[in-house]
Amino acid sequence: MSLKERKPLLYLDGVSVSFDGFKAINNLSMVIEKGEMRAIIGPNGAGKTTMMDIITGKTRPDEGSVFFEGDTDLTKHDEAAIANLGIGRKFQKPTVFESHTVMDNLVLSMKGKRGVFSALFHQEDAQERNSIADILEIIRLEHRKDALAADLSHGQKQWLEIGMLLAQDPKLLLVDEPVAGMTDAETVETAKLLREISRNHSVIVVEHDMSFIRDLDVKVTCLAEGAVLSEGSLAHVAADPKVIESYLGR
Amino acid sequence: MISRYLFQALDKRAFWVAVALMVFAVLVPLLNLVVPDGHPLHVPDYLVGLLGKYLCYAMLALALDLVWGYCGILSLGHGAFFALGGYAMGMYLMRQIGDRGVYANPVLPDFMVFLNWEKLPWFWYGFDQFWFAMVMVVVVPAVLAFVLGWLAFRSRVTGVYLSIITQAMTYALLLAFFRNDMGFGGNNGLTDFKDILGFSLQSSGTRAVLFALSALALAGTLVLCSLIVRSKLGKVMIAVRDAESRTRFLGYRVEHVKLFAFVLSAMIAGLAGALYVPQVGIINPGEFAPANSIDVVIWTAVGGRGTLIGPIIGAFLVSGGKSYFTAAFPDLWLFALGGLFVIVTLFMPKGVIGLLGQLKGLASKMPRKNADKPLPAKPEAAE
Amino acid sequence: MRQLRKLAVAVLLSFLAAVASTGHGKASDTSLEATISALASAKLKDRGNHIEALAATGDAQVVPFLEALAAGDVYFKKSDKTVFITRKAEGGLQLLDPLSLEEGEVVGSRSLKKVKVNNKLRRLVRGAVAGLTVQSHDAGTRLEAANALYKSQDLEALPLLKAAVAAETDETVKDAQERAIAAITLKNVKASEAERLEALGKFKAQGDQEALALVSSFLPQAKTAAESEAAALAIQSIEKSLAMWDAVENVWYGLSLGSVLLLAAIGLAITFGVMGVINMAHGEMVMLGAYTTFVVQEVIRKSFPGFFEFSLLFALPLAFLVAGGVGLAMERGIIRFLYGRPLETLLATWGVSLILQQAVRTIFGPTNKEVGNPDWMSGAFEIGGLALTANRLWILVFALVVFVVLLMVLKRTHFGLQMRAVTQNRRMAASMGIRTPWVDARTFALGSGIAGMAGVALSQISNVSPNLGQTYIIDSFMVVVFGGVGNLWGTLVGAMTLGVANKFLEPYAGAVLAKILVLVFIILFIQKKPRGLFALKGRAVDL
Ligand SMILES: Nc1ncnc2c1ncn2[C@@H]1O[C@H](COP(=O)(O)OP(=O)(O)OP(=O)(O)O)[C@@H](O)[C@H]1O
Ligand SMILES: [Mg+2]
Repeated sequence: MSLKERKPLLYLDGVSVSFDGFKAINNLSMVIEKGEMRAIIGPNGAGKTTMMDIITGKTRPDEGSVFFEGDTDLTKHDEAAIANLGIGRKFQKPTVFESHTVMDNLVLSMKGKRGVFSALFHQEDAQERNSIADILEIIRLEHRKDALAADLSHGQKQWLEIGMLLAQDPKLLLVDEPVAGMTDAETVETAKLLREISRNHSVIVVEHDMSFIRDLDVKVTCLAEGAVLSEGSLAHVAADPKVIESYLGR
Repeated sequence: MISRYLFQALDKRAFWVAVALMVFAVLVPLLNLVVPDGHPLHVPDYLVGLLGKYLCYAMLALALDLVWGYCGILSLGHGAFFALGGYAMGMYLMRQIGDRGVYANPVLPDFMVFLNWEKLPWFWYGFDQFWFAMVMVVVVPAVLAFVLGWLAFRSRVTGVYLSIITQAMTYALLLAFFRNDMGFGGNNGLTDFKDILGFSLQSSGTRAVLFALSALALAGTLVLCSLIVRSKLGKVMIAVRDAESRTRFLGYRVEHVKLFAFVLSAMIAGLAGALYVPQVGIINPGEFAPANSIDVVIWTAVGGRGTLIGPIIGAFLVSGGKSYFTAAFPDLWLFALGGLFVIVTLFMPKGVIGLLGQLKGLASKMPRKNADKPLPAKPEAAE
Repeated sequence: MRQLRKLAVAVLLSFLAAVASTGHGKASDTSLEATISALASAKLKDRGNHIEALAATGDAQVVPFLEALAAGDVYFKKSDKTVFITRKAEGGLQLLDPLSLEEGEVVGSRSLKKVKVNNKLRRLVRGAVAGLTVQSHDAGTRLEAANALYKSQDLEALPLLKAAVAAETDETVKDAQERAIAAITLKNVKASEAERLEALGKFKAQGDQEALALVSSFLPQAKTAAESEAAALAIQSIEKSLAMWDAVENVWYGLSLGSVLLLAAIGLAITFGVMGVINMAHGEMVMLGAYTTFVVQEVIRKSFPGFFEFSLLFALPLAFLVAGGVGLAMERGIIRFLYGRPLETLLATWGVSLILQQAVRTIFGPTNKEVGNPDWMSGAFEIGGLALTANRLWILVFALVVFVVLLMVLKRTHFGLQMRAVTQNRRMAASMGIRTPWVDARTFALGSGIAGMAGVALSQISNVSPNLGQTYIIDSFMVVVFGGVGNLWGTLVGAMTLGVANKFLEPYAGAVLAKILVLVFIILFIQKKPRGLFALKGRAVDL
C-alpha cells in the first residue's frame, strides 16, 4: 500500500471502538503528514477525545490500526512507550501535577531519559535550566514558577499544560481544546503559539472555538458519530451541508 | 565535606533529625553503661530496649511512607517484610545457639529435634554465616516485593485493590508460618537466642550496641529516603501518586517507578525487622498478623505521611502511647487506637506535622493553602 | 333426631369392636405366657421344642424374651415358677415381665433360678429371633433384622431370608433383605456361581464403602474366572462411584463454605459496589449480629423458655436493626466525610472495627459465648452416599434467600433503582433529584444490616467471640474482589467458587495450605482481571 510506504507521520486505518455496544469511533481513517497541523472539529460526543485516547494508547481500538512514522503500530504499545516515541498530549480537562510547583511540572516533562535510575541520578544542567526559563517565558508563568500547580487558575493550568508539551518536545502534539476558558486575547495568543510550534512539529488540535480555528488557518477535519464527515479548508468544510446540518447549524 | 553535601541535598528538617539520631545513638548507650545506676541521668536497660524497639518501628514506618506517602501505594502488608527480615535474623541467631539448646543438637534447632527431623532443611543452609543472613534480611523481602509488585503494578492494580492484595499476602504468610512443617518453628517461632557474633544478647553492652545500630540505621534510612525524595525520581513518585495516568503520558514507566519504591521499601522494612529481633529476643508468626501491618499505617498517618519526619514521630508517639496504655489502662487501648484512626483520617489528614504546619501558618497569619487540603479525590482525571 | 341415634349406635359399635380386639390380644398373650412358663419348667433337652413353638407363633412380642434367654437373663421364681426377664439392679435383680416388659419388684438373686440354655439352644434362639423379626408385621423391625443379618452374615438365616424376600412388599425392606442375602451368598461355600454373580451385581449397584469391603474380601475366595472377573469389575465400579460421591461431598462442603462466604461478603459487595467504600468494620457487623442472637437467646431462656425454637427468627430482624443502625451511624458520622478517598475510609473503618471489638469485649467478656442450636437446626440426614447436616443446609438456603431478596430489592424497588443510578453515575443521579447522601446512608445501613443477619446464621456454626468478625473479613474481601465489584452475581459465583475450590484442595493440601493456595490464586487472578470476574465497564467505574 502506497500510503504506508510514503510514511506519513500518522495514519489511522479503519479504526473502530465501541463501549458497551455504543460505537464511539466508527471505521475512522485519517492521515497526518510530517510537519502538518490539523484542526479537528465536531459536535460533542463525536469521538474527538476518544480518537486521541486511541492514538496515545489509553483506549485500545476493537478494529483497525494506527501507524506512526510508517510502520510502528501504536495499538501494540502502551501509553509510556507511545509518549517515548514522540507523541505528546494536552488533555481536554487540564491535568497538571497539583502538588508540584510550576517549575517541577516542567522539569518532569523535560525531554530526556525516562528510566527509574536516570531519574534517580538526574542532575539539572545549564541547558535544561535555560530551556525551562524559555518555556516559562512563553507560557508567561515566570512570576509563578514556585507556586503549586494546584493554586493556578484554570487558564494558567491550560498554559502550564501547553508548556509541559513544549518541554516534552514531541514529534506530534495532540492538543485537546486548548483555549477553553481562555480570554479572547489569550486565544489569539495561543493560536499564534501553535502556529509557531507547527513550524517544526506536527500538531493535531481539537477545538470548538471557530475564530480560533480560523486563526490557525489550516486543514480542517470534521468528525461526527465517530467518522469523518468532511475534510478540507475551513471554508470548504464550513460550507459542507452535512457539517452545517450536524454541527454548525444554520 | 560529605555532611556539607548532605546538608544541601537533604531538606533541613531531615538533616537535623538525622544528626539528632546519631547523637542519640551515642548518648543513650553512654547514659546506660557509663552513668551509674541511681544517677538521675542513668538510662535503665529496659528503656534502652524499649527505645530500640521504637527505632525499628520508626524505620518500618518510614519504609511504608516511601510507598504510601510518596507513591500512593497503601500497603497493608508491610509487616510481612518486617517479619521476613526478622525471621532471617532469627535463623542466624538460632544457628548460633549450636549445641547449647535443650536437646544439645549441634546443627538442628530445638524445634526440629522435637519434630524428629533428621537433617536441616535446605533453606536453613548458610544461615550460620552472619553475612549470608544479612544478605537474606534484605533479599528475601525484596524478592517477595518484586514478584508481588511486578505482577500487581504491571496489570495496574491500584488503590484499595492493591491494599487488599497486600493484606492477603501477609495473611497467607501468617497461615503458612503457623504450620510446623514450614520449618520455621510453627506458632512458637524462633526464640531462646544466646548470642550474636559471639556477644551475649543478655549483656547490656550488646544491647546498647544494638540500640546504637538501630539509631544509625534509622538515620541512614532517613538520609537515603531524603535523597530519593528530593531527586527527580522523587518528583516522579509524587506525580505517580497524584495523577498516575498523566505520568504515563509523559513517558514514565509508572510500574517501574512503583516497583523501585516498593522493593526498596521492603528492603528497609526487612532491615528494621532484623534489628528488632535480637532486641526483643523472639520472632513468631504473630508478626505477620494483618492488624500489625495496619498499625504501621496509623503510625505513618499520625505523624504525617508524605513527609520524612512524620512517620518517625508517629511511630514513637503511637507505640509509646501503646506501651503506656497497655500498662495503665489495658482495656482502653483499643478504644484509643480505634479513635485515633478515625480522628486522624477525619481531622488530621496530614498528621502531626501538618498540624504543626497549620499552627505555624496561623501564627504568622499566612494560611498555607495546601497544608490541609486532602489529596485530589480522583487523581485519574486524565481525559 | 334419627341422625343422632344413628351416631350413638355407631359409637357403641366401634366401642364393642375395640373391646373385642383387645380381648383377642389378651387371649393370645395368655397362650404365649403358657408356652413361656412351660419352657421354664421343661428339661433342658425339651426346651428346644418350646422355643420352636414360640417361633411358630410368628409374634414379634417374644423377641425380647428370646434374646434375654440367649443372653442368660431369664429367671423364674423358685416360689411360684413365674418367669421373668431380669436386669441387674441395686440390691439384686430387677424383674421385668417377659412380654410387656413392665418393671416389677427388685428381688434378691437367692429367690430366683436361672433358665439355662446351651449353645445348641442359643443357635435355635438366634434363628427364631431372626425368623420372627424378619417376618415381623412391623416394617421397621423387619428392616432392622435384615440389616443385622447383613452385618452378621449368618448362613442359617438364608432360607428364612429367602422366604421373607418372596413375601416382602416394602421396597426398602426388600432391598435390605436382598443385600443381606447377597452378603451371605458371598460367604456361602455352597452357593452356585450364578448366585454369587448375582450377589456381586447387587454390591456393584450398591456402590458404598461396605460393599467395597465385602467384595474385596470375597475376591481371593472367588472360585471361577467369571467370579473373579465380576468381582474385579465390581470393585472398579464401586471405587468409581465412591470417588463420585466423594466429589459430590466436596461440592457440598464447598457450597456450604461458599454460602458462609456469601453471607459474610454480600453486605460488603453492596457497600463496596455502590459506594466504593471498603468497610473494614464489616466483620464486626457480622459479630454484632451473632451477639444479638446470643442476647435474644439469653432473654428467651430466662423469660420465655418455650420460644427457644424461634430464637433465630426473633434474632434476624433484631440483628438487622442493630447492625444496620450501627452502620447508619458510621456512615453519617464518619464515612460521608471521606467519600472519594477510599484509602482513608479503609483506615477510619478499621478504627471503628477496633472500637466495636473492644466494646463487645468489655460488655460480654473476651471468651466465647454459647449460642444454642434450635432443634430444627441440628441433626443430619443422608442422600445417597452424602450426609447433610441441618444447620449447613439451612445456612445455604438462608444465604440464597438473602441473595435473591437482595437482588429483587436492587432490581424491583424504587430504592434499588436509586442505588443503581448512584452506582452508575453519581453526579447524574444527583442532578436528577436523587438525594445521593441519603441513598448512600441507606445503602450502607442495608449492607451492614445484612452483615448482621449473616451473623445470626454464622452464630450457629462458629464461635461467638469478639474476634468473630476478624476471621471473616479477609475472606469476604477476597470474595468481593474475586467476583467483581458492583455485581451481586459476581459475589455469588465468587463465594461459591472459592468455597468449592477450597474444599477440593483440602484433601490434597490440608486446610491451611488450601487456604493459602486460594489466597495466592486470588492474588494472581487480580493481576489478570484487576476488576474481578464480573467487572462493570465504562468511564463511571474508574474509582
Ligand atoms: N471509556 C468510555 N466508556 C464509555 N463511553 C465512552 C468512553 N469514552 C468515550 N465514551 C463515549 O464515546 C463518545 C465520544 O466521546 P468523546 O469524549 O470522544 O467526545 P468528544 O468528541 O471529545 O466530545 P466533546 O466535544 O464534548 O469533548 C461519547 O458518547 C462518550 O460518552
Ligand atoms: Mg472531547
